[in-house]
Amino acid sequence: MTSPLRRIGLRVIALGYLIVILVAPLALVFYRTFEDGIGPAWDALSTPETVNAFKLTLIITAIAVPLNTIFGIACGLAIVRRRFRGKGVVNALVDLPLALSPVVVGLSLFLLYGLDGWFGWLGDHGIQILFSLPAMVIATIFVSLPFVAREVVPTLREIGDEQEQAARTLGANSRQTFWRITLPAIRWAVIYGVVLTTARCLGEYGAVAVVSGRLQGETETATLRVEERYESFDLAGAYAISIVLALIAVLVLVAMTAIKPKEEAA
Amino acid sequence: MSIIATGISKRFGDFVALDNVSLEVPTGSLTALLGPSGSGKSTLLRVIAGLEAPDTGEIVISGEDATALPPQQRGVGFVFQHYAAFKHMTVRDNVAFGLKIRKRPKAEITDRVDRLLGLVQLQQFGHRYPAQLSGGQRQRMALARALAVEPEVLLLDEPFGALDARVRAELREWLRRLHEEVHVTTVFVTHDQDEAMEVADQIAVMNNGGIEQVGGPRELYEEPASEFVMSFVGPTTRVGETWMRPHDLEILLAPSPDAPEAMIERIVHLGFEVRVELVQADGETLWAQLTSDQCWELELAVGQIVYVRPSAERVFA
Repeated sequence: MTSPLRRIGLRVIALGYLIVILVAPLALVFYRTFEDGIGPAWDALSTPETVNAFKLTLIITAIAVPLNTIFGIACGLAIVRRRFRGKGVVNALVDLPLALSPVVVGLSLFLLYGLDGWFGWLGDHGIQILFSLPAMVIATIFVSLPFVAREVVPTLREIGDEQEQAARTLGANSRQTFWRITLPAIRWAVIYGVVLTTARCLGEYGAVAVVSGRLQGETETATLRVEERYESFDLAGAYAISIVLALIAVLVLVAMTAIKPKEEAA
Repeated sequence: MSIIATGISKRFGDFVALDNVSLEVPTGSLTALLGPSGSGKSTLLRVIAGLEAPDTGEIVISGEDATALPPQQRGVGFVFQHYAAFKHMTVRDNVAFGLKIRKRPKAEITDRVDRLLGLVQLQQFGHRYPAQLSGGQRQRMALARALAVEPEVLLLDEPFGALDARVRAELREWLRRLHEEVHVTTVFVTHDQDEAMEVADQIAVMNNGGIEQVGGPRELYEEPASEFVMSFVGPTTRVGETWMRPHDLEILLAPSPDAPEAMIERIVHLGFEVRVELVQADGETLWAQLTSDQCWELELAVGQIVYVRPSAERVFA
């Protein structure tokens, strides 16, 4: 039996941990940003380089998230519902981006699309991959690949395939079964996976840093911009950009929570 | 609307689920597939539905070869043991699912769903979600959903297996009445012989991937084709080398030439029925089933020496 004292003690430890690890650094960033009022923060955010950096981050996210969502759902369905050779390999490969350091991902892309790489010939045909948007999108897709699949797989296992079988006996073909039964049943997992993927895309640094070339105002994403501002001793600018990045992530989280299916609360 | 399964075999790896099984389900009948777990009864049902493809054999539904047809083209309604309710849809939407897939006019769907909800007594639950229903209500919803598309045959896989005893008894009774009303050819799987006897007019007893015997409840009970059927469709006891029904053992207080001696070891009162457990001189045990009146008249007591006489009928050697 847990005594009230022990329960309270546990809460204090849990809360204290969260405060030290999560809340305190974020609060400090907030404080530093608006230390001298909103003026300096606004100035830092409205430079063309920073605006461009945010634009770039959002474009990359807008491409990577839908692609990884579709891939994640398809991959989850294949892993759980189908029997095929090499399923174990696919299952393990999906996790690979979690295990690899993003810097390694960036370097491998560098080798692949560099002048001597397998796809180096693309450059000869005027298709620029490295140091431009395509490489940054590919790097971001790579590092944010597992999240939707990892959320969808356990949910698909848990719901089983009886509902899908029932739909089939009631006359639904596979397309109708997917859209009307499977997808609604796993939507909360998909939504959660999308949130994680989005957060990962917004925050990606290492892989993108390697393949982007970090050209200010051109191939500099918001996270790279934070680093660049920091190195240039513009702490206010770095903090302001960080705050906006954090706000976007929070906004995504809130939006997703708002559309949480109601009947599952019952 | 009859179902004819011929020479159906199905393996799962090394396990032989069905071994050259043939079965005929006449139009309008209510047939039970009865057997222990692993006997192949659910697999046979799923093969009929098209949810499982047989390795060999063919399925003919309403005179049409359905072996190669996917489930959605077979005109079957299927009810699962664990309901398979569409959790994200209301009861109404669950029942309407098949009709919406068939793109029936809205008015017709509303009308038909209303009638079906009435039939399964869920009128006032139409706007609830499955999570807000009891097990029995969920299974009735699943039945209404299966019946909505007017299937040629209705297949139920252990439909009452997940419910408690009282609800199960209620639903059995209800299924029987529903069948009299709707008259759709129905096959249901069960491992409960009481359920099969009570509900079905034809029972196929299955064991080890094969059918042991097909017949009416009375036929199976009184003329079992094998020891397995005899022991599965009712109580049995062994007297010497023969198996018999315990209510065919007569207990005598006085010695008789055709009645061996035995001692009463235990008397179990189950209400109307009384089980008398006996041990013979050679150590063999057997038991007799009496009514409580008979037990009173004989004034039986534990430790008493009595004489048991098997009536010659209904013996399986």
